[in-house]
Amino acid sequence: MVYFINDIITGALIGLLYSLVAMGFVVIYRASKVFNFAQGELVIIGGFIVWFTTMQAGLSLWLSIPLSLVLAGLVGYAIERIFLTKLIGESVFSMVMVTVGLLILLRGLVLLVFGPAVRPFPIIFPLKPLFLGDMLIPMNLLMGGIITIVAAVGLSWFFNRTRSGLRMTAVAEDHVVASSMGISVKGSIAFAWVLGAILSTIGAMIFLSGKSLTFLASDIGFAALPVALFAGLESIGGLILAGIIIGIAQSLTTNYLDPLIGGSLGSVVPYIIMLAILLIRPTGLFGWRTIERV
Amino acid sequence: MDPSGIFPTSYRSDRRIIRTRWQVLALVLFMALLLLAPYLVSGRIIAILNMMMISAVIAVGLQICTGYAGQINLGQAAFMGVGAYTASILASKTGLTFLLTIPLAGLSAALFGFLFGLTAARIKGFYLALTTIAAQFLFHFAVLNLPSTWMGGSNGITVPPAELFGLRFVGETAQFYMNFAVTAIMVAGAFGIVRSRFGRAFVAVRDDDVAAGIMGINVAATKANAFLIGAFYAGVGGALWAYLIRFVGVDQFTLFHSIFFVAMIIVGGMGSIVGALVGVFIIRIIQEIIATVGPNIAESVSFLGGDIVFAGMNVVLGGVIALFMILEPKGLMHRWNIMKSSYRIWPFPY
Repeated sequence: MVYFINDIITGALIGLLYSLVAMGFVVIYRASKVFNFAQGELVIIGGFIVWFTTMQAGLSLWLSIPLSLVLAGLVGYAIERIFLTKLIGESVFSMVMVTVGLLILLRGLVLLVFGPAVRPFPIIFPLKPLFLGDMLIPMNLLMGGIITIVAAVGLSWFFNRTRSGLRMTAVAEDHVVASSMGISVKGSIAFAWVLGAILSTIGAMIFLSGKSLTFLASDIGFAALPVALFAGLESIGGLILAGIIIGIAQSLTTNYLDPLIGGSLGSVVPYIIMLAILLIRPTGLFGWRTIERV
Repeated sequence: MDPSGIFPTSYRSDRRIIRTRWQVLALVLFMALLLLAPYLVSGRIIAILNMMMISAVIAVGLQICTGYAGQINLGQAAFMGVGAYTASILASKTGLTFLLTIPLAGLSAALFGFLFGLTAARIKGFYLALTTIAAQFLFHFAVLNLPSTWMGGSNGITVPPAELFGLRFVGETAQFYMNFAVTAIMVAGAFGIVRSRFGRAFVAVRDDDVAAGIMGINVAATKANAFLIGAFYAGVGGALWAYLIRFVGVDQFTLFHSIFFVAMIIVGGMGSIVGALVGVFIIRIIQEIIATVGPNIAESVSFLGGDIVFAGMNVVLGGVIALFMILEPKGLMHRWNIMKSSYRIWPFPY
């Protein structure tokens, strides 16, 4: 029973990590109506920036973390300036395809610049797990979960209550209408990408803390995709619930079903959930009902 | 191309694929050159042509699904994988002839594609792209985690060579004629499909699905059909691939390969069969250049090792996709068509 509860808690915390990465998707979607397939690559780039500032440049953590976040923001801004500003008002297909192109472009660039080698990642959160009675909770996931919840509440407030947040929401509704209302579509999209890159870097810190870093870690981007979809692409608060549900489902499958069938069903559970959501309720739990049925 | 001032006067003449005598000549010359290619060029080029023809079958299928019917498909490599696995399992376990395994591979891929196409009845746009990505991951999962006696697991399957009346299709040249025959049939079929009732329904759904529905087209069935046909092509291409490489493994059919196929039709031009072929030609040439140049660069930057080809391919294709989406979203064929029509109507402005 203790193990069962422990599995649930760990699953929920991993789910919260997915939520944080998924928050990158949602923030970019919420402020620009672009669905960013390259989110996992942003996580990896964030990871390499953190690795570079700590392990290569030898800065202390207190200095390197803020610096990494600033650098990640700059990368996000550069991507937006180079690729997305020119596509404002273009079709959904163009936007999707450009981020798909970005996905393989960034993957290739990371490989070319950093190579396929495995690198140690700095220990940002204490390695010693937290013991609650017989239960064992990884410290990085626990801290990460707290950061995720704080970020979700903050961003949720920003997008739903403040004036500038609501402006960005208008951009997500329609680029042309937003710009004719005097809202800067370019500014909104740029802000979204900076924020998305920063969130991805925080995600990388939590995910990789004390582990090793290779370009394969970008798979977390695709693991987070079902969470974003389950919550509904416009809802930041909903990510918490969606992440917890998917994380628990995955954890229980990995720990109880996989030994029975002798496979790794756990890794594919999020996609099965995603397919089910797409078929039953494409708007997700809390998304806007804007999907056109045909 | 008809000269200025001559317009088709019947549907039959409007639908004709070959319009002038020069086109007949060009087509015959092109086919003859391809048929004689094994006697004209070296084995290396034949190997490249083999890859091009297989990619052409798959890219043409993607063109029908994405370019004509407008359904974003990021799972074409998974559909290709289903075909490749079907063909190799049938060939290695039951010893069926390739005359049967290739169509059966197409059919099984078509069934798989149709299942995911059914979701297109409910969702569209990039949500659809997400289900095709899910198809990609589910395919990977199924191969790796089903019992390895079924699909070989992570070891892959070795494929026996294709055989017909005691004649074994081994070696690049023999493979070349087999691929040539299948590719010719498939491409000719694609020209037929897109100018038929189905093809016109695809274009109508792509341009405006609400309007298409009002005109009496069953939109959901049309979208599912587009996936069915696109996946059938991918399955046939996958079977050819299995016979060419004689080995299938799950790493040959990843999301990245799907994106490569998408890059081909973006470069060539959406909504044009010839565009798909042009795109395949250009992207495969780029790939060959990277594969040739890459190792030389890798020697000077040694830490990369063998990954440089994959990495370089990703950088170039990612850049090409993004550039084309920004600068020339309709692809090279669009530019060519503009030139053609302005030549045709010269000296009038329109």
